[in-house]
Order: sequence, then structure tokens, then C-alpha cells
Amino acid sequence: MSNKVAIIAANGGMFDAYKVFNIATAAAASDKEVAIFFTFEGLNLIHKQGMHALEMPAGKEHFAEGFKKAQVPSIPELVEMATELGVKFIACQMTMDVMGLTKEDFVDNIEVGGAVTFLDFAKDASPTLTF
Amino acid sequence: MVKADKQLDAKGLACPMPIVKTKKTINELEEGQVLEVQATDKGSKADLAAWAGTVGHQYIGTVEEDDVLYHYIRKCSDDTIEEKTYEKTVSHDDLEERDGLVLDVREEAEFAFGHMEGAKSIPMGELESRMDELDKNQEIFVICRTGKRSDMAAQLLAKNGFTKVYNVLPGMTEWNGNLTKNVNGGM
Repeated sequence: MSNKVAIIAANGGMFDAYKVFNIATAAAASDKEVAIFFTFEGLNLIHKQGMHALEMPAGKEHFAEGFKKAQVPSIPELVEMATELGVKFIACQMTMDVMGLTKEDFVDNIEVGGAVTFLDFAKDASPTLTF
Repeated sequence: MVKADKQLDAKGLACPMPIVKTKKTINELEEGQVLEVQATDKGSKADLAAWAGTVGHQYIGTVEEDDVLYHYIRKCSDDTIEEKTYEKTVSHDDLEERDGLVLDVREEAEFAFGHMEGAKSIPMGELESRMDELDKNQEIFVICRTGKRSDMAAQLLAKNGFTKVYNVLPGMTEWNGNLTKNVNGGM
């Protein structure tokens, strides 16, 4: 049985962030080795400022109250927890170049790599998920 | 209340926090100890059972009381297959034809979620100090979950002068008879 979970985060909204980090922390807590490849808008989720201001999908803003009521942890909290549990963050070099971003724009302890870096991790991972 | 070695308060927390907290807390327990996880997240019941199965701990069961779920998990290490060394054993079928005392050496929480009718509970860790509760003239059938702890218990009893001791194999995991419960809840 594979002990790896590989995740591609390609979207930058708040709902996307929850899907990514909930699965990632749950997998890490189940003793899985987890890596997330952040590409295109997905980079938002680990951007130092961006992750504090993730947007809800248009017309879904009223869910903010539901998040509060269900005591769902904030995205920065989940990012910290994921790091603590050993989840590996890989930021896409190509997207960073296109958007003019550097490693310093992101949370600490990320790895910067290309598609092959992720593919190498994902080659024997099960499941591989895309959000 | 079901007895546990440690309590974790995860009430009010949403997924995946109960799992993440459980993972962290169980690291503080010794092998064989029981953790009680208190949660209000309705999904935590299925999640914790699945989590325990994945990482190799034993999910004992859940009790619901006043909208709080109390989950019980016993910490296990990688189950190395150990040779059963105590020679006198009986099967479940033999057991039904014998008189004597069924001694269940699992943790109290495991016992509470299902045991043989009439069985006496003394957890393995308490056996040495509670041996005077047992009668040397009576046949004693020691049982646990898989036969490992009961093997050790049978050896311990034999070493202390109990001659009519038998290890019941396999353990409660393969017991198909009736179960008596001390809690309102399911496995």
C-alpha cells in the first residue's frame, strides 16, 4: 500500500484552500507522507499576505457565518498545522516567474520546484488529488 | 463512565481537528493505554474509526451523551507476531462445555463495549496486584482480544501457583456468541 498522498493546488479561493489543507492535514495525521504542489492561483494559499485574504466564490459570501459557527480553523492555522505535521509544500517555479514572485513572498519552509519535482514525488503516491 | 488513561477535549472543533489532536495526544500514551476523545463533530465517529484502522490503533467504540461523542481508542504498536508460549489452551467451542471462570484481561473500556456474559474483568496491568480475587481451585479461562495478553496473563498466573489456567484462543475478535455491554453505544 502506498504511504504517500500527492495533492495539486491549482486554485486560489477560500473553498479551494479548505479542500486542500483539510485533506492534507488529515492524511498527515494518518501517518501519510504528503506533498502539495502549488501552481497558478494555487500559490495564493501559501502567499504570506494572500492566504489571510482568500475570497469566497461570488455569491457564496454568506457562508462566512457558517464557517464561524462550525468553528472551522482559519487557513493560516491550517497551514501552520500542516507544516507541523510534516506536509511538504512545493511552489511552482514557472508560475512564480510569470507572476514575479520570489521564495520570500511565501510561508517558510517551502520548496521551489518544477513539474518534475512533483511528478517524482507523485509517481508512487495513492491517491493523487487535484483541487 | 468508561475508564480511560487520558482524556482529550476536542469538543466544538470541526474536521480535521479532532483527528489532528488525537494523533498528537496518542503520542503521549504508553502502548496498551486507552484514550478518550470527546468530540461534537458528528463526522468524528466514522473518521476516528477509519483513522485508527489506518495507523494501526484499536478503535474500541463510541458512546453518545448529551450531544457529546466519547470515542475510545487503545494505542497499539506494530503488531509483531509473537509465539504463544503458554501451552494449555482451549477453543471457543470447548469453553462452552466447561465450568469455571472466564477472566477477561483486556482494558476496562474494551470490556465495557462487549464481553462474554459472566466474565470477570481484571486488566492485564492490574492482574499482579489483584490476584487474590481469584480462586486457585477453580478452572480459569483467560481471554483478551487476540490471545497475546491472555497468554502473558496465563503465564503470570501459572508462575504464582495457579494450576488450572487455560488461554482461550482465538480471543474476543473471533467470538461469535452473545456480547454483554456496560455502555449504550456501538463498536
